[in-house]
Amino acid sequence: MLKDLFCISKVFASVLVALFFIHTGNVMSQGLEKEMSLEENIPTKDPLVVKRINSSIDDAEKAFGQVDPLKIELQIQDLAFPNGGGSVAELEVRGFHNGETIFFNLIWSDSTKNEKSITHAQFRDAVGLMFPIEIVKISPETPYSPRMGDRGKPVNIWHWKADWEKELATGYAHMEDEYPNMFTDFDFNPEPKQIQNELYNSTALMSGGIAAGSLLSKANRGSSVEDLNAIGFGTLTAQTHQDVKGKGSWVDGKWNVVVYRPMKTSDEFDTQFEPGMETYFNTAVWDGEEGDRNGLKSISVRWRPLKIE
Amino acid sequence: MTLVHNWHLGRTMEYPFFESRPKQQFAAVFNINRCIACQTCTMAHKSTWTYSKGQEYMWWNNVETKPYGGYPQQWDHKILQLLWDNGNNPMEWYTSSEDKKETTAPYGLYNGDTIFELAQTKGLNQMAVGYIPDDKEWRFPNIYEDTAASEKVNYETQAVSEYSELPEHKRWFFYLQRLCNHCTYPACLAACPRKAIYKRKEDGIVLIDQKRCRGYRKCVEQCPYKKPMYRGETRMSEKCIACFPRVEGKDPLTKGRRMEARCMAACVGKIRLNGLITGDYKKPDPNNPIDWMVRIHKVALPLYPQFGTEPNIYYIPPRWAPRNYLRQMFGPGVDEAIEKYERPSRKLLAVLQLFRTTQTMMSRFEIENGKKIYETEVNGKKFEVYDDIVTGYAEDGTEVVRIKVEEPTWESDEKRMITY
Repeated sequence: MLKDLFCISKVFASVLVALFFIHTGNVMSQGLEKEMSLEENIPTKDPLVVKRINSSIDDAEKAFGQVDPLKIELQIQDLAFPNGGGSVAELEVRGFHNGETIFFNLIWSDSTKNEKSITHAQFRDAVGLMFPIEIVKISPETPYSPRMGDRGKPVNIWHWKADWEKELATGYAHMEDEYPNMFTDFDFNPEPKQIQNELYNSTALMSGGIAAGSLLSKANRGSSVEDLNAIGFGTLTAQTHQDVKGKGSWVDGKWNVVVYRPMKTSDEFDTQFEPGMETYFNTAVWDGEEGDRNGLKSISVRWRPLKIE
Repeated sequence: MTLVHNWHLGRTMEYPFFESRPKQQFAAVFNINRCIACQTCTMAHKSTWTYSKGQEYMWWNNVETKPYGGYPQQWDHKILQLLWDNGNNPMEWYTSSEDKKETTAPYGLYNGDTIFELAQTKGLNQMAVGYIPDDKEWRFPNIYEDTAASEKVNYETQAVSEYSELPEHKRWFFYLQRLCNHCTYPACLAACPRKAIYKRKEDGIVLIDQKRCRGYRKCVEQCPYKKPMYRGETRMSEKCIACFPRVEGKDPLTKGRRMEARCMAACVGKIRLNGLITGDYKKPDPNNPIDWMVRIHKVALPLYPQFGTEPNIYYIPPRWAPRNYLRQMFGPGVDEAIEKYERPSRKLLAVLQLFRTTQTMMSRFEIENGKKIYETEVNGKKFEVYDDIVTGYAEDGTEVVRIKVEEPTWESDEKRMITY
């Protein structure tokens, strides 16, 4: 009897201490990353139900009309440097699958369409969906960082970008897209105006992002969504195998984006989906007009439950 | 944030990473007194690295006219204004003999906030204060070229001086040659949320990893010298790479020995000397020409040390510009530096001859003493010139330069002179 009392009081004491740190966390930490609070690891209650509907990407819009959305409240990202974002208050998420492909519809208000990333001041509109890679049950006792994953607890991120969407339609946006009358000394596009073979062959080496094989600099990348992994802040890495596709349009101050992927992929770094499973997802939205990029984004702090029928 | 020692400021300061100095540091001395703004250095880097699509506006090396010019426009005015716009920041230097310490605080103690500390004070929730220059501000890199600050005189009522005299010219301008300073505490490195910027342990060169960069432009925002630049074509940022293949000795011309960067080697006016100095600032090598000029003789000074990044490009200040302007730009060591340059010591005169004699980086120099050949007075004090020979040695000990302080001359026979 005394032993039980002792155990209970131990738990009580540790909860007290934890509460103390939660409340003073904002005051004490002028650090680069805020300490994780207990609440962060408590997923929200209402799940996003991904119904089974026999549609494809072509009639996805009709299918989305048949499912209930999950409205997600977003807030400023103030958990890790650099802080920012917060201009987008709400994101609407819908989902369905047809047994083979899973589709998510993301809708949010954004009064300006930012689909270029060429000048210093241009930042793209974007939206991100994040899933834990493994099937987990998340709670404060079994935490899984809702921020950007953590060491040993990797996440799979699907990152749709507005400028990648535009480039699907119009081709890679070169400098001329912004400055149509500019002159280039040495052009390394496949049909160079000045035929200087040796120079043309060498300029690929001098082309920074292109030489490094980065998807950001790649023409004809074939998708408007980037497939990535992360194990915490600052570790975001694009996958070698890109599996996610997307379709987005901006009408009357609202972005309407569909991201979709085969439910099962051969990539071990992808989250695998199957009918009947339960997992979680988290979201972030970038408003290019506000200079949103990286940690400057509007986020949902806690995991949302995901139920696949 | 940890505390690191910044010897320019003479104190510890906040920085997000532990103090970790490289084994050797890429550094240079620029003699502003000699620069003619021929821009050969600028063209050298342009034709080596920044001629491709998206890099048209980039000048990793640039030469701007002070006081009005700047690339990007008004960069130093803006960052100084940011540092000034905080009531807690007195921006003062304490230079009494108690504040100065030989190696850890040679210029005294700087009391103001660095860009890192100011970001904390202002609660910006990012590493350093800064701004992203708009595309428009990167235009006209040579704006206000050769535009002098004029004498503060009412031309209608007062006489304008006919000519300028030292110590401070009444109408003045000078050229400021800049490239990435490969700082010891780079703001760009601190700013990058992905650690896509790193500082090499072997030579202190700071690089942006093109595989990891995602074009967030936090480095562009927070570098106070505005040397990381966003490349719209590839959607990622680039910066001066200190010609690291040359520094590694990969150019066949120097047969495996370290070679100076292109902008350094191309200098027509012979204002630049580039080399690797010791990483440990407490143990300067008196036989290394740059180490000696910067840390021992103190004739070359850092650029805007008050920003707090410990930049590694050092300048011999122009002796005709107003002293308070120069002190704002190079710190309180200006008066001592100008005094030393105006009336060079025997050793300084010898070291100055080494500038631009070879493309190979020198790690050591020696002086073979000669007879006194000239004597005069400068500023009321004796100035002597000796017929010394200076030799410069590469890292592997090979002698790469042998030059006389007094240039040998030959006088023709009077009979061969034709007079009319």
